[in-house]
Amino acid sequence: MNKKLLAVMMIVSVIFTVSLILVILQMKAPDKRIAEVLQDGTVLYTIDLNSAENQTIRIDAKSGSYNIITIENGEIYISDAGCPDHICMKTGILKSENVPIVCLPNKLVIRFR
Amino acid sequence: MKLRRLTELSLLTSVALIIFIIEQRFPDIAPIPGVKLGLANIVTVYAVYRYHPGESAMMVTARLLLGAFFSNNVSALIYSAAGAYLCLIGMLGVRHIIPEKYLWLCSVIGAMLHNTGQIAAAVVMMHTTAVISYFPVLMVSGTIAGSFTGICTQFLVKHIDRTR
Repeated sequence: MNKKLLAVMMIVSVIFTVSLILVILQMKAPDKRIAEVLQDGTVLYTIDLNSAENQTIRIDAKSGSYNIITIENGEIYISDAGCPDHICMKTGILKSENVPIVCLPNKLVIRFR
Repeated sequence: MKLRRLTELSLLTSVALIIFIIEQRFPDIAPIPGVKLGLANIVTVYAVYRYHPGESAMMVTARLLLGAFFSNNVSALIYSAAGAYLCLIGMLGVRHIIPEKYLWLCSVIGAMLHNTGQIAAAVVMMHTTAVISYFPVLMVSGTIAGSFTGICTQFLVKHIDRTR
């Protein structure tokens, strides 16, 4: 085994290990309760989940697609979307400070502030 | 380009395209954009090891465009293109360092770079750095998926070389 190959292997395994540790660290529950909704990099809504009433918010994208955000019992999630993949809906309730709800087609992000 | 070469590349492109479209019908493994097996990468890694860089690039380009049109998801083309080209460039770069015995490692690097490219495209497109928090998850999933597709390619290379 030559030195270059060994170096490549080392780099790959270091990236893998560091990422694995980061993933584990990301799993901890957040202490923040203020969520913000961003579209195309600008903040549309800032919602205090402790005091927010149950409601649904419809956000239209420039492309004509949409996302329906539901706030229910202090939890926030996307309940409906016009995009083809529905990944934002499958992400479910916003739980982690480090893992936001993202809708790539509609350029929408929901995260804790 | 020799006719035989052209035919082989077209065949590879259509195989990659079929794999790509079938994989889209699979249920999502995780609710995170970008976490997937990337089975079409098997064909790309094969092309990187058995064809010229230019030929591999042509194949990837054809697969990207046709894949976007057939899956009716042209808006995602910018993400898949950023991923696919970064992946291809990286794999062509390490191809001469990594012998065929460790071919799976090349596939792992490709998968990691593919996800890196997609995140970079998402940061640019969405004007927010929030998506970077997906990076570690995508690196881990990329390593696992890349190892799997890499091992598949290793079997494939052996088998095809024998039958040719």
